[in-house]
Amino acid sequence: METNHVPEKFIVSIGPQHPALKEPGHFEFTVDGEVVTNATARLGFVHRGMEKGTEGRNYVQDLYLMERVCGICSHVHAMAFALGVEKLAGVQAPPRAQAIRELIAELERIHSHLLWLGVAAHEGGFDTLFMFSWRDRETVMDLLELISGNRVNYSANVLGGVKIDINEKQKDAMHKGMDFLEERTEHYMKVVTEDETFLGRTRNIGLMTKDQAELLGAVGPTSRASGVPHDVRVDSPYAGYADFPVKLITEPAGDLEARFVVRINELFESYRLVREIIDHLPEGELTVRVPRRIPEGETVSRVEAPRGELFYFMKSNGTDKPDRVKVRTPSLCNWASVLTLAVGHKLADMPMILAGIDPCFSCNDRMVTINRGNDSQVWSWEDLRKYGIDYYK
Amino acid sequence: MNLTLNPILALLIFPGGLCLLAFSLVYEFVDRKLIARFQNRVGPRWFQPLADFIKLLAKEEIIPAAVNPALFISLPIVALAAALTATLYVPMFGLQPAYGFPGDLVVTLYLLSLMTLCIGLAGANTKDRFSLIGATRALTQLFSYEAPFLLAMLGPAIALGTWNISTINNSAMHSWWFLLTQPFGFLVALIGLMGKLELPPFDAPEAETEIVAGALTEYSGRGLGIFHLGRDVELVIGLTMIASFYMGGLASPLDFLWKTIVLLLVTALLQSLFARLRIDQTVGMWWRVGTILVLVQLLVIILGRYLGPLIQPLFGG
Repeated sequence: METNHVPEKFIVSIGPQHPALKEPGHFEFTVDGEVVTNATARLGFVHRGMEKGTEGRNYVQDLYLMERVCGICSHVHAMAFALGVEKLAGVQAPPRAQAIRELIAELERIHSHLLWLGVAAHEGGFDTLFMFSWRDRETVMDLLELISGNRVNYSANVLGGVKIDINEKQKDAMHKGMDFLEERTEHYMKVVTEDETFLGRTRNIGLMTKDQAELLGAVGPTSRASGVPHDVRVDSPYAGYADFPVKLITEPAGDLEARFVVRINELFESYRLVREIIDHLPEGELTVRVPRRIPEGETVSRVEAPRGELFYFMKSNGTDKPDRVKVRTPSLCNWASVLTLAVGHKLADMPMILAGIDPCFSCNDRMVTINRGNDSQVWSWEDLRKYGIDYYK
Repeated sequence: MNLTLNPILALLIFPGGLCLLAFSLVYEFVDRKLIARFQNRVGPRWFQPLADFIKLLAKEEIIPAAVNPALFISLPIVALAAALTATLYVPMFGLQPAYGFPGDLVVTLYLLSLMTLCIGLAGANTKDRFSLIGATRALTQLFSYEAPFLLAMLGPAIALGTWNISTINNSAMHSWWFLLTQPFGFLVALIGLMGKLELPPFDAPEAETEIVAGALTEYSGRGLGIFHLGRDVELVIGLTMIASFYMGGLASPLDFLWKTIVLLLVTALLQSLFARLRIDQTVGMWWRVGTILVLVQLLVIILGRYLGPLIQPLFGG
């Protein structure tokens, strides 16, 4: 067996199909016994060509396409796109629409963080916490279904506002849901910060200092767990975040435990925000008119997705179709931190360190160009199209 | 309770053989159902373990390239055979053991360890990375819990002055539960059994989120089914031994049933309470805590045995 001759090159490959990862990504950990000495990642298994897809559709159709970039944070994608288009068109959605956008974004954050809590616990072999947090997550899923009719792609946004309104009955349901979730989350906070076996898997594991986090370009809760005071909702408020401000939550420790604590504290902040929004929902219209043809221009739209800063660059050319839409999702920014932190840790810590950034694979996937020495080749759009047609013929 | 049966019958049908296999599947079901209920899940139906086993038997068994096929096929059989052989010396179902000789305790414990050795060998036999790491972890874990587990099982034996399981069982019926007089030993024995069976939180050797199925990753079909069955058998035997040693012996089938089910309830609770331990944490825990506890207890037992007769007159006994 070749690996026996060179023991320091024993590579454990995880993915693209592996029980730890429910999404396709490929990681190679070079291990020396149980200790990881090198880590590499390969993405690109589920590249869907969505950015290119936007160029062939008009803005209204693109809104539906962008909502499907990510299965978990579908609303923030649609919101980022809608906000960008509104900025290009020079219109602003009414305050009630902005508040409802924020409300759904926070509900989505609750669902995403609870989902993550379960997944991270499962990676650490703590299936009981996994089952309980996913059971409680159903509460917020039901609330989202109640107000939008959908559990995943809420389809709340239209260009220039939102298409759903919140009534008194829904407000009551949300109050009840938040009360229940708050109580449960307090319990999870206790589990995460007090359970000895769990702390053994999280405390001082995957330690990332503030400098490292800034250097590696980490975003979102991952960087806030290292004490980086950075949150798009606070730094440059969008949608309703100016009227209903959010408190910046950071933890100085920088280990896995801090990432748990930051996310759970964000849950509490989201519960507070949801209550505040439904209690003080501004009256008024839900939409403004947005022209079909968007004037020529370029803009950047930044929102805080559950996983961190979501960045949209948009270029319009005066027609009803965008010239270029560029999406950069938070998971992509956090890979560098995972691969750096992995070195020196035990193989058993890898799933948790990986899960610690709350990775979302298909939304951050990129085309991969493979350089094989000198025979590199560039394929144009037409070449790719022809290849695709021939392949599936 | 004593039951005289034709040895062939005892070996193949009752209390060994078929009856034990059926019982082990029932115990697997109880274990899975309890954990599911603790985790707020519905859990499997009562025939699920049997259905799983039949399904695995019906599946194609893929023998990977670059393994020793004879070893690959025989290891699960040896593991199951060892576990089944061990049943002959333990008071299964509260009946007298089918066979017994002075010192059969050591043989039984050895037969129980054979399962882990087989799993380790099975992992090392294949070239799969996950299997190799799983095998290393399984054997590392073996070396960490085996000594404390052995010492914990020897506690009652030393206290009663015999290494024959049926004698220990009979004497245990007439004395205080060793659970009360040797609590450390009971704890270490029970947790040791969980380590032996690679139950959570000691499931690092087969941690699915890290190394897929550990040493058994390359096993499919019949081999996997037999390994799983062997593990279930070992669960029943382990519970029987702990119940007979530490919970006042097993006098009747009813006694057997309630004592082992209570033990199973405790292990299911422990399984759902903790996050998985890393292999280094497992080793550290066993050698730093487990071994020390049992050694302290052994010291107390030995002192008690020699000092007991000396101080007994003082208490009027």
